[in-house]
Amino acid sequence: MTEYAVRVEGLVKRFGTFTAVDEFALNVSPGSVHGFLGPNGAGKSTTIRVLLGLYRPTAGRVRVLGLDPATHAAAVTKRISYVPGEVTLWPNLTGQEVLDALAGLRGSRNVAAEKRLVDEFALDTRRRVRTYSKGNRQKVALVAAFAAPTDLLVLDEPTSGLDPLMEELFQGCVRDAAAAGRTVLLSSHVLGEVEAVCDAVTIIKDGRLVEAGRLADMRYLAASTITARPLSGEVEAVSERLRGLGVAVETDADTVRLSVPRPLVPAALGVLVEATADDITCTPAKLEDLFLRHYVVGAR
Amino acid sequence: MSFTRLLIRRHRATLSAWLLVLTGLCGGTVSSYQNTYATEQQRRTAVALAQEDRVSTLLYGRLPDPGNAAQMFTWELGAILSILTAVMAVLVTVAVTRAAEDDGTIELVRGCGVAHRRPLHSALALLTGVALVLGVGCGAAVGLGGGHVEGVTWAGAIVFGATTAATFLVVSALTAVLAQVAATAGQARMLGLTAVGASFAVRAFGDAGQLDALSRLSPLGLRAAAEPFSADRWWAVGLAVLAGVALAALAQLLSDRREFGAGLVRRRDSRDSRLRLRTPVGLATRIGRSSLLAWTVAVAAVGALLSSMGAGTVRQSQTGDLGGFLGSQLGTGDPAAAYLAYCNTVVGILVCAYAVLSVLAAQHNERGGLTDLVLAVGVRRWAPLAAQTLVTAAGCAVILVVTGTLSALIAPMVIDGNQVAVRAFSYAVGQWPAAVATAGCATLLTGVSARLAGLAWVPFAASTLFALLGNLLGIPHRIQDLGFLRHVPDVAGPNPRAEALLVLVALGLVLSFLGAVATTRRDIATD
Repeated sequence: MTEYAVRVEGLVKRFGTFTAVDEFALNVSPGSVHGFLGPNGAGKSTTIRVLLGLYRPTAGRVRVLGLDPATHAAAVTKRISYVPGEVTLWPNLTGQEVLDALAGLRGSRNVAAEKRLVDEFALDTRRRVRTYSKGNRQKVALVAAFAAPTDLLVLDEPTSGLDPLMEELFQGCVRDAAAAGRTVLLSSHVLGEVEAVCDAVTIIKDGRLVEAGRLADMRYLAASTITARPLSGEVEAVSERLRGLGVAVETDADTVRLSVPRPLVPAALGVLVEATADDITCTPAKLEDLFLRHYVVGAR
Repeated sequence: MSFTRLLIRRHRATLSAWLLVLTGLCGGTVSSYQNTYATEQQRRTAVALAQEDRVSTLLYGRLPDPGNAAQMFTWELGAILSILTAVMAVLVTVAVTRAAEDDGTIELVRGCGVAHRRPLHSALALLTGVALVLGVGCGAAVGLGGGHVEGVTWAGAIVFGATTAATFLVVSALTAVLAQVAATAGQARMLGLTAVGASFAVRAFGDAGQLDALSRLSPLGLRAAAEPFSADRWWAVGLAVLAGVALAALAQLLSDRREFGAGLVRRRDSRDSRLRLRTPVGLATRIGRSSLLAWTVAVAAVGALLSSMGAGTVRQSQTGDLGGFLGSQLGTGDPAAAYLAYCNTVVGILVCAYAVLSVLAAQHNERGGLTDLVLAVGVRRWAPLAAQTLVTAAGCAVILVVTGTLSALIAPMVIDGNQVAVRAFSYAVGQWPAAVATAGCATLLTGVSARLAGLAWVPFAASTLFALLGNLLGIPHRIQDLGFLRHVPDVAGPNPRAEALLVLVALGLVLSFLGAVATTRRDIATD
């Protein structure tokens, strides 16, 4: 078995009496792009801070690139690029000076990649940080992260301030990183973005693991939605036959709408074709359907 | 909740601390003026000397006749109080005006249907309220604390309180104007403090040159114009309030003519420069560079000014006894050495304040998320705080060497005595151990908890209190000696002892080390 780039088992993190993360597990395969999802306040950023050694776990076993970040934070973070959710930079420095500072402290740098990324992200690095918008500050952090010669990228909602063009560019950068053998852990609320770039996802809610796995497998297990318009007068008969397959059917005047687990899709479609129904549509499960139900939470 | 109440809620801790310190200073010292001069003869000599002496005049203004205890108090303590009041006014005003604009909170409030002039009006309302509380507090403290002190009357105490309130009001309104002009909150603060420095200089030279009109132009000259416990001139207070109102109106006018988040002065925000650094020390140096420069200029100016004014005092302590605040500072021994020690105690206080502020920047960076960025590129957990402390200690050394060198060049020209240059330099540089110990306290507190870091002002305040007012308040010497200041030996005197300084440096090193270790045992703090 290959060693995981990130391996978290039974992670507990308490702040006083508040349990931010409870018995959480996270496994990120090397070279993969791993989505990290969950509602606001679910414990994503707390977990990420534990991975970086900024927080010390209350309990549990954490390994990042084979090392324990609680005891080897500097050795771990030398090999990590991190983009925080809320990017704060030194207001008096220019964008270029911030890039210089971060690369200088890290002690390793890929100047060519940095130049290319600055151009691609259309970032004016001569300006002082205090004049930057949130999106521009995020671009500085993203350029520094992608340009650094690191093995693991930890990105905490990195695109919340970017425009759609930059969002597309960002996705390209993530794919390039993965193609170059780097591992990416991407915390995000943008489900389209996760769907576009991630191989696997982990969902956290109220500090606990609710679902984890490869996107393809999850999609396979989820139900597709089929709608059709049977010939007039046959709606009831068709519904009966579909129910016979073990499928939940809703009827609405002349339309049937059914939610079908992936293995039953061919059979259900067969029934509808046989009945010569019109306007048959079949939509595979979208990420929204997979995740949104996990997003309903109380305040905490 | 009205915007004014929101401002009060947000700044109540800082405001209460300031108000408590200033009223406490008035109430705690007024009665000691009764005891400072035991006999009538002693007092008369002191008054005559004080009225003649150039340096006392520069520092505190002119002492009115007959120089009773109440007038002495207004003259000496009142001068210190008015400077502190002015500094408070600058810091509080910037905090409630431009700082709130720069950090985005006013933007949020403006987006909630608050009229565009409301934030400035609320800030001015808050400042007026603070001025009233300050005035009532100081007046009551003097009235209550000085019941048996010669010359203290309720009428005078009320004028004293009103003078303090009016000083606060004028400086606040002036700062509010500067806050419209400056490009950022930091620049506004710098301009405001420069204005306070200029007010002090105008007052000092006006008083020294017997130019009453000049000294009354300065907000710090108001005390002398109103003369509480002597003439009780209400019209002077009234004029100051009118000036405050006019300045507030000007601030309003300028506020309407500028862009939100920008001052009337534009700043260049674009430059082609690179940064060559590889360590947290390099980064901390670069980030703290401009503030170090400003502190160096300010402290060197204060140090040189004080040293250059020493001729009169030194001669005076050679001939007669010098009582009151300054007398309690100088004590016995070589007059030149005593005076230079006193001047450099003031320098030491300033440098210790720089040390606290500079170390607290580490805490600020941590809570703001900048430390996250630094740690995430492979910097060790303890390194940012340790680097900040190291840069602070080095910064203190830079300030003191520059101040000492300047004093050593100026002092021998005006002060008669042995080895004045050597003493001027060594007394300045000798403040470094106190600064290191102060920085050590701040480092330890920051290391233990970013939230507690603000307590670093406590040892600073205690040391300052012991050094400036310890004798006046009759604090026992063994307790005064626990303060970090006033431990510098006279290097030109017989057998100078530097044990205390070594203890301070060792204390600073140990506390800093413990602070750095403590950071590795706690989570990073976030706001």
